[in-house]
Amino acid sequence: MTRFRIANVVMYGFVSLWSLCILAPLAWMVFAAFKSRREIFTDPLGLPDTITFASFGRAWDVGMATFLLNSALITVAAVAIIVVVSGMAAYVFARSTSFWLRLLYLAVVAGFAVPVQAVLVPLFQMLSAAGFINSQAAVVLPYAAYGIPFTTILFYAFFLDFPRELEEAARLDGAGRFATFFRVILPLSGPAIASAAIFQAVFIWNEFLLALLLLTRPATRTLPVGIMQLRGEYSSDWPAVMAGLTIAVIPILVIFILAQKYFVRSMAGLGK
Amino acid sequence: MTQHTRAFRSKDRRRADLAAGLSSAAMLTPAIGLISIFIIIPAALAVFGSFFQFSTTSSNWTWVGLDNYAKAAGDPIFWTALRNNAIIVIGSVILQVGFGTVLAAILDRGLPRAATVFRTIIFAPMVVSTVAVALIWLIILDPNIGSLNALVRGVGLTPPQLGWLGDPNVAMWMILVIAAWQYTGFMMVLILAGLQGIPKELYEAASLDGAIGLKAFWHITLPSVRNVLIVAVLITTIGGFKVFDLVYATTGGGPANSTQVLGTYAYLQAFTLQNMGYANTISVVLLIIAVILGWLQLRISRRAGS
Repeated sequence: MTRFRIANVVMYGFVSLWSLCILAPLAWMVFAAFKSRREIFTDPLGLPDTITFASFGRAWDVGMATFLLNSALITVAAVAIIVVVSGMAAYVFARSTSFWLRLLYLAVVAGFAVPVQAVLVPLFQMLSAAGFINSQAAVVLPYAAYGIPFTTILFYAFFLDFPRELEEAARLDGAGRFATFFRVILPLSGPAIASAAIFQAVFIWNEFLLALLLLTRPATRTLPVGIMQLRGEYSSDWPAVMAGLTIAVIPILVIFILAQKYFVRSMAGLGK
Repeated sequence: MTQHTRAFRSKDRRRADLAAGLSSAAMLTPAIGLISIFIIIPAALAVFGSFFQFSTTSSNWTWVGLDNYAKAAGDPIFWTALRNNAIIVIGSVILQVGFGTVLAAILDRGLPRAATVFRTIIFAPMVVSTVAVALIWLIILDPNIGSLNALVRGVGLTPPQLGWLGDPNVAMWMILVIAAWQYTGFMMVLILAGLQGIPKELYEAASLDGAIGLKAFWHITLPSVRNVLIVAVLITTIGGFKVFDLVYATTGGGPANSTQVLGTYAYLQAFTLQNMGYANTISVVLLIIAVILGWLQLRISRRAGS
């Protein structure tokens, strides 16, 4: 019996310690944001003496509102395109046995394996030649493109298991493939869509490399590039940097905590 | 049925087939188009461009054959970058998949209560942007105001003189720690999903044979999630080769290239030094590694699914 109790203490202890190591830096970020520039030097570990919101004002002035808005718009647009475009393609692939479509599907699979980092130079040259620099609307397209392969693979597996009877009924009613997809398949694919959308949203919201190269004007920047700018402008003003990070990090953490079940399910799907 | 109606029927069928074919094509075009323009063509151009020398500003491409590859073979920084990627891969597999497995096993078998709370906390850094994570750690590791220095001094040890990220011998370790802080929860969740698929009867049967605790973990848990573990290792490996944000935002590849990785080195060559052809060559190495590993990941995970 005692052996079990010791094992339990060890297990609880380990998980608690790990959780503490996760929470400490985040808590420290928030505390540092409320400290004065002087206090952060004299007492780096302690709680702030007086709570001041001044550093939040300084961070906000860099354009946090713009960065947040840009990130939100780009993420929503790219995820919407990814879901619709991948869904249509996956549906056609899942309902076909043609050799040529198998080949095309392989091209999609190949696209999954190519990271942005490996095609940086040609992609940047193509996008700048096409006038994509500093255009948020244009950045949505490469973001969507890099999300499509994985989402198509995900939807393909989902559509293979989709009951055919419903599609047959729609076809007898005279609905074509297009109408069947939008009126029957898509409305019944809620869980798969939610999983794919959350997964892609997390990646696009946090994407840094393409945004760094393409969104160089401050007004066009997304959060990850924006907070690098914040760091550049306030190189010795740590409370302002931490305040900006708090503004950037807390909303996404709140969304995550509220919907953690769906986030976890979505991310765990990668292993299947 | 008369000859006439039969002919009419087959014509009708052909028209329906044509309509289905056209709508299929229309539904495939956006996906294939976007993938071709933004992924396949750039990948082909990266390979093509690696045989040339050029900069962003000039449109002059000079054919240099395999010179860029010969240059890479003789470039110590390229090898440092590749070695650092390998260190990140091995270190991350040990830390993230290793501890991820242990944490998942504890949450699955040991801690039925409070498991959701712990899972939520440990997974949380995954949804935060890597740049934000890097900046939070930058200030924690800062030699003047960092809390780690204060902590280490508090227990009577001396922190590295050049700073945690300023010392070439320490900086790489710090990058591994930050990566583990962010991604171990992701691996835990991935493996936890696999563990929850193991039928409980298996554990009950094994406990009759005396296999409980660590023994059960070794003989039942691990073999049952073999495929999930392989996928976890592959995802971590691919991530280790693709790493960019974390290194860029913490050390920028320094000090003295000691934390340079392929991603940051290609970026440096392309956009700071204007050696576009050479940057392509570094990228192609990354591309080949990523494609092989990505293909393996899909093959194994598909088998795990069926």
